[in-house]
Amino acid sequence: MGSAHTSVPRWPTSDPGLDRTGRSYAILSFGPDARPTAEGWHRQVVELGRPVWARHGGSADEVLAELAERVEAARVGWRLMLAGPQADVLAARAVATSGGLLDAEITLLVTDDRHRRVWCSHCDTTTLAEVATGDVTGCSGCGRSLLVHHHVSRRNAAYLGFMVDAETIDGEAV
Amino acid sequence: MTTLALVVGHSEEIAPGIRELSFSRTDGGVLPAHPAGSHVVVDCGEGRRNAYSLTNPGADPREYRIAVLHKSDGAGGSGHMHSLRVGDTVTVSRPRSAFAPVSTARRHLLVAGGIGITPMLAHARDAVRWGRDVDLIYVHRPGSEAFSDELAALLGDRLAETTDEDEFGRLLDKALTGQPIGTHLYVCGPGPLLDRVLADAAAAGWPPERLHLERFVPAALDPGREFVARLARSGRDVRVPSGRSLLDALHEAGVAVPNMCRQGVCGECKVPVLAGTPLHRDEFLADDERGAAVMCCVSRSKTETLEIDL
Repeated sequence: MGSAHTSVPRWPTSDPGLDRTGRSYAILSFGPDARPTAEGWHRQVVELGRPVWARHGGSADEVLAELAERVEAARVGWRLMLAGPQADVLAARAVATSGGLLDAEITLLVTDDRHRRVWCSHCDTTTLAEVATGDVTGCSGCGRSLLVHHHVSRRNAAYLGFMVDAETIDGEAV
Repeated sequence: MTTLALVVGHSEEIAPGIRELSFSRTDGGVLPAHPAGSHVVVDCGEGRRNAYSLTNPGADPREYRIAVLHKSDGAGGSGHMHSLRVGDTVTVSRPRSAFAPVSTARRHLLVAGGIGITPMLAHARDAVRWGRDVDLIYVHRPGSEAFSDELAALLGDRLAETTDEDEFGRLLDKALTGQPIGTHLYVCGPGPLLDRVLADAAAAGWPPERLHLERFVPAALDPGREFVARLARSGRDVRVPSGRSLLDALHEAGVAVPNMCRQGVCGECKVPVLAGTPLHRDEFLADDERGAAVMCCVSRSKTETLEIDL
């Protein structure tokens, strides 16, 4: 498949700068590497005199649950700024877009992409693992060895994983 | 170009200066279906062709319904439309969809000015039929409230109608700052209204991706600077003088380009650009198409030479 058509995100790895066109803002950062940039955005929004809700660090699950509530209540004019590892940014972005946000309303900064959320196409479990695309990782649900495919679901915020040895029996190709 | 030979089935003045017309096949058969917000281009005699929004439901339609505002200062096309009576024949294009509801929208905010109500009537009927969340702000001159009764019955308190510019401003401000994220805005009406809605929406933080517009009355275009169209396939240069469109200049040089609305709306006359910078004045091309194509009916060139793939 041509790289121009891959679903694997290629998001900014350096500060893309504050989107100044918003009327109010939400800023989330995940992990220590992302925090300085996100705090910089926060200061700039305060200087603009616009409302801002921010969360830095904390439990990712709790932050995402709170984000879903904020998205539900958000009015057009709202901007979401996300900074952190790709797996967290992807998950937060999925929450936002399922609530109706457009790419134009989301600014992203990815601080590292070592970890991947891998969705098992056999048992429907998603596993967070330190694994590169094209490598193999174990499924935390069914234990199968999953090949991490070059395909990302924006909706599920996960890479597609499937059984690496599905066409072999006892180590023999069939 | 595919056109339909239709017959007028209904012709009635529904408000001062506004005539509603319907067109059907002579055998009463089903016409091509279309999404809400579509338009057709109607032959208005003497080479004039005007685009009109379809107000009828678009699923298996047996008639196309339009409403025409009589413009005494126009080229005469609307006067011709007002002279049509039941039984007259008309040449109508197939429907074009350039203003359809966004299927993923959480809510649809419609803003209509004057005769710009016509595509909004189609949107409102479609939204109610399919249970979509919809609000309409309708501003018009006193006494020319086309479709008011039907809209009030359809939308109830989701219709805000006014003839007062200040009240319109207040309604717009409130609507622009109170929509749930996921709302898309659609606006149709005269140029100054569109410009105002777009500017106010941008100031309220609406990204362009949420704003959809239909310029009912095309912006008055200035004659523009002279430039040269270089035809890459034949190597010919065609001079495009100030005041003449690229489309007309090409025709005079014997190069036929399919065209229909001649207002930068329908998309028929799109020509690929190979070199030079187009001066875009159309409503058709998306931003990411503007580097490599030009609508030759209205657009010109910023550079002295525009090389096109003809």
